[in-house]
Amino acid sequence: MKLQTKFNLGIIVVFLVLAVSIGILSIRYVNANTIREAKNRVSIYTRAAWEIHNGKIARIQAAIEVLARTQIVEGLLDHQLDVQEEEQQLRAAREELERIRQEQEMDVLNLLAPDGTVILRTRFPYNTGDNLARDPIVHQVIAEEQASSGNIIFSQERLDRAGEGLIQRTLAIGQEPRGMFTGAAVPVIRDGQMIGILEMGTLLNGAVEEVDRIRDAVFENEAYEGKPVGTATIFMGDLRISTNVLDNQGRRAVGTRVSREVAEQVLEEGEPWTGRAYVVDTWYLSQYDPIRNPDGKIIGMLYVGELEEKYLDLRRRAVTLFLAVVLAGMLVAFLTFYVLTRGVVQPVAELSHATQQLSSGELTYRVDIHREDELGELATSFNGMAERLEKQRREIEQSQHRLRELNQELRTTNRNYMEMLGFVSHELKNPLSSAMMSLHTVKDGYLGELTEAQETSLGSVARSLEYFQEMIKNYLDLSRLEKGELEVHAQKVTLQSQVIQPVLESLSQSLEARGMRVVNEVPEDLVVYADPNLLRVVYDNLLSNAVKYGREGGKIELDAQKNQKKALTLSVFNEGPGIPADQMPRLFEKFSRLDSPEYSKEKGTGLGLYICREIVEEHGGEIWADSEEGEWVRFSFTLPDQGG
Amino acid sequence: MPDKKGTIVVIDDDVQLVESVTTLLESVGYEVFSAYRAEKGFDLAKEKQPDLILLDVMFAGPPGPDGFEISRRIKKDDVLQHTPVVMLSGVKKVLELGYDVAPDDDFMPVEAFIDKPVKPEKLLTTIDEVLEASE
Repeated sequence: MKLQTKFNLGIIVVFLVLAVSIGILSIRYVNANTIREAKNRVSIYTRAAWEIHNGKIARIQAAIEVLARTQIVEGLLDHQLDVQEEEQQLRAAREELERIRQEQEMDVLNLLAPDGTVILRTRFPYNTGDNLARDPIVHQVIAEEQASSGNIIFSQERLDRAGEGLIQRTLAIGQEPRGMFTGAAVPVIRDGQMIGILEMGTLLNGAVEEVDRIRDAVFENEAYEGKPVGTATIFMGDLRISTNVLDNQGRRAVGTRVSREVAEQVLEEGEPWTGRAYVVDTWYLSQYDPIRNPDGKIIGMLYVGELEEKYLDLRRRAVTLFLAVVLAGMLVAFLTFYVLTRGVVQPVAELSHATQQLSSGELTYRVDIHREDELGELATSFNGMAERLEKQRREIEQSQHRLRELNQELRTTNRNYMEMLGFVSHELKNPLSSAMMSLHTVKDGYLGELTEAQETSLGSVARSLEYFQEMIKNYLDLSRLEKGELEVHAQKVTLQSQVIQPVLESLSQSLEARGMRVVNEVPEDLVVYADPNLLRVVYDNLLSNAVKYGREGGKIELDAQKNQKKALTLSVFNEGPGIPADQMPRLFEKFSRLDSPEYSKEKGTGLGLYICREIVEEHGGEIWADSEEGEWVRFSFTLPDQGG
Repeated sequence: MPDKKGTIVVIDDDVQLVESVTTLLESVGYEVFSAYRAEKGFDLAKEKQPDLILLDVMFAGPPGPDGFEISRRIKKDDVLQHTPVVMLSGVKKVLELGYDVAPDDDFMPVEAFIDKPVKPEKLLTTIDEVLEASE
């Protein structure tokens, strides 16, 4: 996998993990917060709702407190009148109070005797005479001669007696003959004594004023996507009696009942219920608070609900925004990361490519990376290295070129040498040959008889020429030797016929002239593994020496022996003066001549034995001489590896 | 001058040698003709139709056939094919001729092969033998 891909994958994985974690955590956090927030808010709303509700009651109380001090009320309570007058005054007062009641938009405005008996009702049919001492509010006033207020349940009978139309109103909502009354009662005090009770209030069943006020005050009558953001409901028991929650037809959903769960918790256990409530067809963040009468009994519920959707959407948007920001941030981070890593990966890739180029032999490649950091250093080092490699290669190529040139020169020289050799030998030998031919033609009498002196003189010329001839031969051999040209081309050689016989043949005249006899102990069929030409040179030299320096009339013996290591020892023996012991060490050295009268007549070139040694050693063998001074000398050499 | 023993053509680029060989051969009674170039020698032989041809191996100078080549040509020539050829060579040792230098029907169809330098006696003996054999 490529480096950049690794990086990218790595960072993507990290980001994914991060994103998922952040996502989950943030959603959880937001959720929790939102819920807490919602609960808090709903609490506040509910408190506000209570304020409004209680405010209303307070206003009612304040109103009747004022009214309690007026003449009308006092007059009604104060004196006894005769029946007719009373009737008239009563009627006038009642009309006035009814007017006030209607002004106040109340359903009930009653005047009671200190014992709770109803003296005056301001609602048709203006019933009187029933006793309300058991009414919790009234009861409180009677007991403590103090104002009292709150919410109470009117029984059907009470509703009936309270006046026309009330019971119809309650029945219209859920067939319920009872009603929830909210109001206050104040004592009428004169001269420190309670002379009566003034009671005012209103029925909440079917009323809209309070819930709407709650809605308007708390929620500003805001709507969200066609639905009211805020709702309020007053329950009598579990029955909705006053609400601005709308049903699917858009009407106020009075007469419906609250869920079992809520009813249990709020009405029976008296604990407020907070949470998400599915009201009619929508989710509301709600709080249900119990409504208690002055005796502390739970008679209903106050509900405030906020449209969840609005906040859901808000939350969703918040979360989305948040995630979007996070993702955007991650994207930016990723891009930055990518750019940064690319800034590293690319040079690395380039260096990798460059190295490949280098290793495949392309030494002229250079990287084009100019940075101030480690990669820049690497690039510089690389270029430097490539530069050196290139230079080295150039040098090597130059050396090789030189070598080739030298080799060429060498070959040329060699060829030249060979040509020269050929040329020299040709050029030297030809005059020599013709000189000898001419000389011998004369010396041997073909052109007439010679005097002794002439013959002697020509004889010495002949000897000089012979010496000259030997010199040429030896020097040619030597120079080839020096040039390392005497390569052993080993092959199977029949020693007798291929080597010894030809040599003896070429020396036959001299042998005869000196009267020497050759004892040839070399087997006819002896086959050696050696270079025939080189062997001929050896035998030529050894036998020439034997003929030249051996005793006149003496014996020359040739022998061949196999020794234990499968090597062959060949020897040339001749009777004669032999080699003095002190001259032995230098015998085979270049230019060494034996320094003795016997040897001075026939001067040698000093090269013959040296050449023999070189050839023998080239074959891997050894050459040596044994001698008895004055008697004989035997030259022996070994040819090893005859098994091959 | 004794009766001529025969005619010999000498083909060799060594002027001195030719001279000394001619002197020798004439001294024993041969009639000698000579040429210094291989081609010229061939033509001369055709003209003189000798009893024997003495032929050198190497010819210095402008490129051309060597002795072996000429010997083969002689053998192919209807006029000369029966004429015996004796080859002279000074280069055997130098060239380290790998093979045994012996007359060979295919490569070197000659009657005898002599190394230079050669003693007069050897040369004369060889010529005598070859002439005898060819009769």
